[in-house]
Parts: sequence; C-alpha cells; structure tokens
Amino acid sequence: MPINLSNSNIATRENRIGSITGYVGTLKDLATQSECGTLKGCSRCFSQSSTCLSSCGLGQLSAIRDVAIIHHGPAGCSVAAAGAYYMSRVMPKKRGVTSSTIYVGTDMNENDTIFGSTNALRNVILEVNKRYSPKAIFVSSSCATGIIGEDIDSIVDEVRDEVGVPIVAVHCEGFKSRIWATGFDIADHAVLQEIVQPPREGVKTNKINFKNFFESARPEIIEMFKNFDLDPVFLYCNSTIEELSHISESLATTCICGTLGNYLGNALEEKYGVPYVRSINQCGIVGFETWLREIGRVTGRSEPIEKYIQEQRAIYLPQIEEIKNQLEGKTAVLGMGPGYTFEVSRVLNELGIKVVWALAWHYDKKYENGDVPPSMKYLLDNDIDFEASVADQQNFEVMNILHKYQPDMYLSRHPGSTVWAIKNGTPAIYVADEYMIFGYKHTLEFAKTILDAINNRSFEENLAKRSKLPYTDWWYQQNVDKFLEEIK
Amino acid sequence: MSNVTEFPKGGCVLAGINSVLGAINRVCPIYHSGPGCCMQTTASDAGQSGHKSSCFVSAVSIPSSNMLEKEVVFGGTNKLRTTIQGAIDIIDADAYFVLTGCTAGIIGDDIASVTNEFAEKGIEIYPIETPGFTGDSNLGYETVWNTFLDKVIEKDVPKDEKLVNIFGIIPYHDPFWSGTLEEIDRILSRLGLRVNTFFTKGQGIEDIKKSSAAALNIIVNPWLFKGPAAKYESKFGVPSLRIPGLFVGATDTSKFVRSVGEALHLDKDLVEKVIADEEKYVYNYLGQAIGVLSWKRFAVIADANNAVGFTRYLANDYSFTPVLVIVSEPIFRPEDKETIIKEISDLEYAKPPKILFLTDQYEINSAIREEEEEITLIVGSSNDREIALEKDSQFILGAFPMSERLIFNRTYAGYRGSLTFTEDIYDNN
Repeated sequence: MPINLSNSNIATRENRIGSITGYVGTLKDLATQSECGTLKGCSRCFSQSSTCLSSCGLGQLSAIRDVAIIHHGPAGCSVAAAGAYYMSRVMPKKRGVTSSTIYVGTDMNENDTIFGSTNALRNVILEVNKRYSPKAIFVSSSCATGIIGEDIDSIVDEVRDEVGVPIVAVHCEGFKSRIWATGFDIADHAVLQEIVQPPREGVKTNKINFKNFFESARPEIIEMFKNFDLDPVFLYCNSTIEELSHISESLATTCICGTLGNYLGNALEEKYGVPYVRSINQCGIVGFETWLREIGRVTGRSEPIEKYIQEQRAIYLPQIEEIKNQLEGKTAVLGMGPGYTFEVSRVLNELGIKVVWALAWHYDKKYENGDVPPSMKYLLDNDIDFEASVADQQNFEVMNILHKYQPDMYLSRHPGSTVWAIKNGTPAIYVADEYMIFGYKHTLEFAKTILDAINNRSFEENLAKRSKLPYTDWWYQQNVDKFLEEIK
Repeated sequence: MSNVTEFPKGGCVLAGINSVLGAINRVCPIYHSGPGCCMQTTASDAGQSGHKSSCFVSAVSIPSSNMLEKEVVFGGTNKLRTTIQGAIDIIDADAYFVLTGCTAGIIGDDIASVTNEFAEKGIEIYPIETPGFTGDSNLGYETVWNTFLDKVIEKDVPKDEKLVNIFGIIPYHDPFWSGTLEEIDRILSRLGLRVNTFFTKGQGIEDIKKSSAAALNIIVNPWLFKGPAAKYESKFGVPSLRIPGLFVGATDTSKFVRSVGEALHLDKDLVEKVIADEEKYVYNYLGQAIGVLSWKRFAVIADANNAVGFTRYLANDYSFTPVLVIVSEPIFRPEDKETIIKEISDLEYAKPPKILFLTDQYEINSAIREEEEEITLIVGSSNDREIALEKDSQFILGAFPMSERLIFNRTYAGYRGSLTFTEDIYDNN
C-alpha cells in the first residue's frame, strides 16, 4: 500500500492492512485464510477494556529528546504524561544524555466541547514554543476533539511559520481503531511527515536504523554490530531531531518488533530506498540467525556475520541444549502483540515447550508490502500448529483458556494480563524487556527464567488458594468464542 | 478552559469514579466509552498512587463497550446493551455501574434507559452519566457519592448512634488511602464506634446502602464533599463533622478525636483515656530517637489534604521550619482556598509558610527554584523529585502522583502514621 505523507491522517491498521482483533481457531487456519484472502475478523458483542492508541503513539513521540507533545483533550487523556515524564527524565539519564522533552495537556472542559477551543489551542502552542523552545512540536487530538471536529491541522498550518520549528498534527482519536498499535504507525507517520529529510548528496554511512522501544540493550548491540562495521541508530527512545532527520540515509532499517517497525521500515524503503529487513525476528536461535543473515544479505556483510554466528553458537548452543532437557514437554499459553506472539511461540518450540494456545492482541493479515508476517510463515513452513485466537487483550477469554488448559506457564508482554493469570495460580512470565529473548545469550537467560518461574510456584499457589476471581462458573463452561460475532 | 499544564497529574472525572468503585468489594464498573478509557483512567489514578490496583476487577478485566467510529456515527446503545448483558453473565458482582466516556457523552447516548431495562429485570445496576470532560478525579469522587445518595442508599434504616461514615480520602488516588482509613478506623474503634470506611475490611454495596443509619459523617478534607454532605443531611438526617485537613501526629489527631467525641457526646473520660494512651505510645517512640534527624527547613508540594497534614506535623509537632507549601491539585472555590490557607497558617509554634496554588509543573518548578529562603527538605510527588535534585534538597516521596514506591497499608496519618513519616524522613525514601 503506498504511503501518503501529504496527509496528516493515516488509515488505521484495519483499513490499511486488514488487521483483525477477533478470531478463534488454529494457527494453520488463521494463516491459510490470510494467505488466500478469506480471513474475516469478528467483533465481540461483549468486550472488556482495550487500550488507547494514543498511549502507543504519544509514548513513542515523547521518547524523542527535546520536543514538546501537546495533547489537546480532556484531563483524563493526559495520563500519557506519566510515561512521558519517565521517558524524558529517566531514560536519558540511564544513557548519560539529557532531554528536556515536555508533555502538555490542554485540560479541555465541557465548554470547549460545545464552543470549540481552536483559539485556545493556538495560544497553547505559541506559549509552549516560547516557554520551552522545543526542537519540534507534536500536537495531538483526542476522542473529544475528534468528535466535535476541531481542525488541528489548520491551526498547525497557521502557526507553522511563527513557531519556526517542525510542527505536526498527530491524529490520536481513540475510537478510530481497535488496534492500539495503530498508534505506532501514527507516530511514525508524524516523524516521516515533518522530521525525516531526503538523504543528503554524497553522504556515506555505515548506519542501520534499529526501531525498538527503550534501547535497553544498546551497549550490547552496538558492540555486536561493530563486528560487521555497522552502527545502529536506535529509534525513538533518546533520538534527537537531528538524528531522525537523517534516517533516510541509513543502509537498512530493522526492528525489534514487526508491529512496531513495520510502517517506518516500509515507508523508508518505499520513499527513500532504504531496505527494510523482513525476516523472523531476533528471538531464539533460528530467529537470531535468520535475522543476522538477512542483514548480511541486505548490507553486503554476509562474511563477518557468518563468522560471528559460528563463534556464538560454540559458546551458547551447548548451554541451551542442557537446559532444554528440563523444559521438554512443559505446556504454555501466551498472550502478546502479534509482533511477539508468533515469534515467542517459535522460541518455545525450540526449547521443547508445547504451546497449547497462543493469543495475539491483534493480527495483521499482511504487512505493508502485502506479505503474510514472516513469523507466521515460518511456523507454517515448519508444520507447527496449535490453537490460536486473536483478542484485543480480552481478559475473560484468557482466563477461560487458562482455566481449561491449566498450562505450566502463561507468558505475556502486558503486566495487567499476567496479574490475572497469577491470581488464577498459573505461573506467569512477564516478557517485559523487548530484548529478553534476543539472540543466543538472552534465549539462554529466558530459558532459565522460565525454569525459575515454573519451579517455584509458592506465590501463585498460595495466592490462588486465597483469592476468588470475579468470573462466573457459567463463563468457564462456555467456549472461548461465545461472544464473537461476524462483523456487520 | 484549554490552558498549558506541563505534566498534568491525575485523571478525569471517570478516573475518580472508577477509583471509588474499584475500592468497593464486588462492584463492577461497565464503561460505555472508547477502547482506551479504561486503561487510561486506571493508569491515571491507581497507576500513579503507589501501585495497588483493585482486587475484584481492574484495568483489563473491566467490561467496556470499546466504542469505535461506527458507534460514534450511529450511536452506541446496542453495543452497550450487549456489553451489559455480557458483564452480568460473566462477572459475578453484587452491583454494576454504567459509566460514560467523552465519546458517549458528546454523542448523547441514553445510557439511563438501557441501564433501566436491566434494572427492571431485578439486576442491581445504576447509570452514572458524567462524561470525562466534565472534570477531574476529585469531582469523580463526589459524583459517585451523589449517585449513591440519589439511587443506592436506603431510607428509613434504623439509626445506629455508634456508627460513623468516613469521607474525604479518595481511594486509588491518595497513595496512603488504605493505611489512612485503617488508622482512622483503629482510633475510632477505641472510642467504641463502628466505622464505615467503605473501602477497607471488605466493605461492599450493602454497607453503602445502610450508611444512612450513621450518627455522623466525618469528612477528613478541607474542601471536598460539600455537596454530598449536604444531601446526606437533608435526605437522610446524617449530620457532618468536617476535619479541615488530614491529621498527622499527636496534636492534630488528638484534636480530631476530641471533636468526634464532642459531636457524638461520647464519654469524656473514655476520650481522654484513649488520647493519653495514644500520645504516650507516640512520644515513647519519639523519645527513643532524639537527635537522630537533623533539623530542616521544608517545602511541601501535595494535594490540599496531605499538604495540611504534612505541614502541620512537621511545623507544629516536630519543630521543623515551614518555608513554602504548594497545593498542587486544582482548587476552584475561593472559600476553599481560604480554609486551606487558614489551616496551613494557623500554627501554634512556627511562622506561617508561603502558600501557593499551582497545578502546572512548570510553575511549581519555577516557584521552588526561585524561592529565596533555604529549603533542605521537600515532601512532594514523583514529578517534584527533579526540582529537589536540582536544589540539592532532601526529598520525601509522599504525594500523588507516586510512581516509585509500593504502598500497601503504609500511612503518615494519625498517631502511628506520624511515626512512619518520621522514619521515612530518616530513611530518605
């Protein structure tokens, strides 16, 4: 699908790449149906809380150094401020740099919803520019501004000359999409629209764009890429506007999570010819090797990469083999964003753990370039199948599944989800850190973490004995797809 | 009106409503809102007040209609109807409350009618039609109680002269809420009273229904809960005693105990005996660690209730010098500001501090940065740590938003809480 950077509105994942949030069946069926184009998502007549795409969108942007985020909406929408505060005050310090990024809420009230507040917003933008002299300004909408039809695009255009730094409207109406990951695309779109510049003439570089969340493995990855004469540019945590303006010059773009990096990677490729590394991701052994080899192929560095792979294999594979014996045959249920679910499923399979059910918080039928996500393709090609469903974090479905299958472990990348598994007495592994399963070393650590979690269940078992979950017995007896219905 | 607020604290009215409902045992909120409101409201209050979240249902387990464009255009009442039915089917709750987000509020979905369809079938379910944009989480606290007063609390419940209701401490917003309520409960129980905290001891909707039996409402807050208090009195004949700020330490807590004693005509000897006993307990400990803490000139940045409590304890009980107090929650009524100023200024021992009402972090930081008098201790929220570091002043994380401490039953309130507060000043948490 062509990327259109002339409009500040970006189509949702549902409309752009046919993403769905409702499906219950098997992995094979899900993949076959998406390949032949017959997959239709379902909606739910009953649902529990989902998540706002603004947290993903503004969370990404507020990690950029020295910018201003203006969230035009009622006070409640400004909760992203807490995360923004952390991203701009703590994350830079961890790396030894500074950021003066600020997050401003406009505290829209009832009067504003009736009479509009475009004038007030204009003043807010100018005041923010004066107070903080940010390097760029992102002006976000909310559900309320969206419904009353506040024209933030026009205001941004009107003040553009006066503020004198890049300024862009970011459309974060929460009701726009069931898929909070649309927020990642919205952030990318804003960066591509106003910050990224065309490559400068004659610039030679060994840089590779690395889209990730918190650059928590930064030193380690810089060290690794040195072996291949590559210099990673981590996006967007602690990025500067200057750095971002030149990402069109890099040798390639890769990412830690396909859901996170897909839009930026494809857009940079389509618009500036920067190759986007499309492979299964770095989780586990096969993933890590496939990913490195693809980088080697794209950037012409296959030789040093093969050498690195052989060296590392010698160190880690025997250790991983050893721990595998203790994990063989254990069962797992997992619930994550699709950028991780089908990757982590592959790793669990590598470690000898049987996935009995995998939930993806949403599912992209195809990526921006029209392909089925590589992680799915890998599982299919290797004849790995299990029950699978797509649910935007629907906790009651997770609990129904855990109750029925009583797995040895539940893995999730969302802390709120592990809470309920633990109350159910299921050992839960919170795959919090994006690099938790990265490469050989972290795959080994991951295996050890799983072993720790399932070997000592004191807290889970003691807590579950004394806790009563809110769900009715009736619900536990129903099929998981009880509340799914065809989208009308 | 739209203005510039750097790093805003707290949530919308929906967040306050959700916080209160989450603290009542076996009560299930149902959101009629966009897909993000549940997580946003949970994150904005519970998520930033010491990392506790509701035991029964919270965040990902709260039913929500997750309104999308289709509902915005065609209305969302059908989706709400099936969401309510699903909630009743799968969540085993004693009562359900239907809440509205901005989206439902602006498009004008009639949630009361839909809710009523279920109420007519005998389901205990109530609508709260207050969309997010109408105010902040403080207003949410009052909104829930107004709903209870209008629709839940029963009339003609036999009076119980030993029963009191406690108000003014917002659960999952004030980081110390449960510890504070437990300390109040402990002290008042010693006077032979039965205490409705509503949010501890597993209290539930039945306790709320029967709260009209109380002999007294005790409001521990300088400004909150005026409307509901008046309604309690006019509709159910329950009078109110306002304690105009949290009590921390022996002086103010004893004053609190005496005012409750007088209001309920309790046996004076008993009241004085309890006070003497509690004060002895506190001073026995304080006397064992004299000179352990160095003397401080302090600033407090907190909501009104805690700002009053912290300032008065440190200045009036512990000989520290108050320099600057910033009330960092929005206070709109001038008479409320006056009450707060009076409570903070009216000190027996110390010279009153400078008092400011600021919610914008930029202005808070400027005020601390530009303060000419020396400040060696700052009690504030997570957002204030940075300016404390810049000032090279000791910092105690004691106010909302609080993202770097886990708080179960810790409190700085009352007799025992003041000891914890003093310990923390030494430990420099």
